[in-house]
Amino acid sequence: MNDEQFLHERIQVLCTFGSGLNPCVPRRIRRESGREIEITEIGLRHPTTRGRRMVHMFDVTDGQADYRLEFDSERLVWHLTMEGDRV
Amino acid sequence: MKKRHDSPAFFEQLNTAAPSVMHIDLNSCFATVEQQARPRLRGRPVAIINRRTEHTMIITASYEAKAMGVKLGMRVRDAKKLCPDLIWLESDPPKYRYVYHKLLAIMNDYSAHVRMKSIDEGVIDFSETTEATRSRGLVDIGREIKQRLRDEVGVAMRCNVGISTNRFLAKTAASLHKPDGLDVITHENLRTIFAGLDLEDLTGIAHRNRQRLEQVGIYTPLEFLDADEEVLRRIVFKSIDGTAWHQRLRGWEVDKRDFPLRTAGRQFVLDGYALKPEEVLKRLHHLAEAVGRKIRSQGLVARGVQVHARSYAHEGRGWYGKYWHTRHMAAAPFFSDQAIYEIARQLFEQAPYPLKEIGITCYELAPPDDSQLHLFGDELAQQRAITTAVDTINSTWGERTIHSADTLGTDMVKVKIPFGSTRYL
Repeated sequence: MNDEQFLHERIQVLCTFGSGLNPCVPRRIRRESGREIEITEIGLRHPTTRGRRMVHMFDVTDGQADYRLEFDSERLVWHLTMEGDRV
Repeated sequence: MKKRHDSPAFFEQLNTAAPSVMHIDLNSCFATVEQQARPRLRGRPVAIINRRTEHTMIITASYEAKAMGVKLGMRVRDAKKLCPDLIWLESDPPKYRYVYHKLLAIMNDYSAHVRMKSIDEGVIDFSETTEATRSRGLVDIGREIKQRLRDEVGVAMRCNVGISTNRFLAKTAASLHKPDGLDVITHENLRTIFAGLDLEDLTGIAHRNRQRLEQVGIYTPLEFLDADEEVLRRIVFKSIDGTAWHQRLRGWEVDKRDFPLRTAGRQFVLDGYALKPEEVLKRLHHLAEAVGRKIRSQGLVARGVQVHARSYAHEGRGWYGKYWHTRHMAAAPFFSDQAIYEIARQLFEQAPYPLKEIGITCYELAPPDDSQLHLFGDELAQQRAITTAVDTINSTWGERTIHSADTLGTDMVKVKIPFGSTRYL
């Protein structure tokens, strides 16, 4: 079984910046459809590069499905790039 | 009479020193990292594959999948028969590289002598660390590293820790209680632990070495431990390897060595078994570009190219895979993708189609010798300038921003995870 859906959807993200292991914490996202998703847990945040451009990948969940958010630190935009395992 | 440290008799004894080597092994690394990233996968059978087809092989399975009989190297199609709920995910190397670097950073906090053995395991040598670090006790440090991995990467991360007097026994200790174990092997419990192991549980002893040992009546690790050094050297291994095994089993360090990079290669299981030669060559060209990039990333040049392929042949009642390889040593060193591909392409003219797997390996790697004048020096300089420019663009804007037009549509030949060497991480 593999139910990952790969997307490249521009999203709006409400996040908080603090300290600790995950200084940037996405809290809520709004999709193009207007649907809002409350993030309950960050699974893993890891940086990666596209050439010399730094992109931060956030694997998160709302308890119903897993999502991957990408934050482009150069262009300051968020994309939803994966949705998986919706119950 | 006291035995001298440099005499062979000294190594007859077990090493009674305090353990100073710690082996850390991430449990089912890629599957665990995916379970960390996606909380809803925790506690469920997960398999990691390199390509999204049912024919591909599993490269890592979570403990939940392993409990259902899923094994590494098994095809997804077969694994699903054993475990219908199996979740298979395509590997995500940047994620694993991130965890690798986090683990390395944690390990570096305890000693200046850390060596990563692969993307998911490494060794800390405490023999030259400060007294303050050593006096804490390695078991205490091992527990702390486990906790830090959970705190600094995520709660689902687990690792096995093995502690002993040499790398071999530390690795053996790390494999005793999976997952999340912490074991110590000393001269005092060595025989007890060996009594519970099989020969192939020992790293470095696989089918062929087992056969060699069995030919002289060695069937268990304890019998291996008790074997005479001369028997191992002259009869079993027929080389100095026998002496190394004799010392390794007794806890003496014989594996603290670094090997220079001698070869660099890539292989690819073809996405179709009946691809035409021109389609195979496109994928070969992609591999040549990947190998060229690997060599240049280490500042090296190559002298030889070896190619290999697995072909399908019909014999008797079924289809059988056949291994084919050939090589060519060039008169002058080379480094460009084009030079590697040109040699590989010519060698592939003899390939026994249809093929199911292809590979390129460059060998005789060495730093470039610019002191020697070349007859075609201008051409070489031009080639170097172009290659450097392309590499710089690809580093700046992303891999394969510039590549040969011939390799368009070959993205399936994606970069895999370097299991062995950590040079490219």
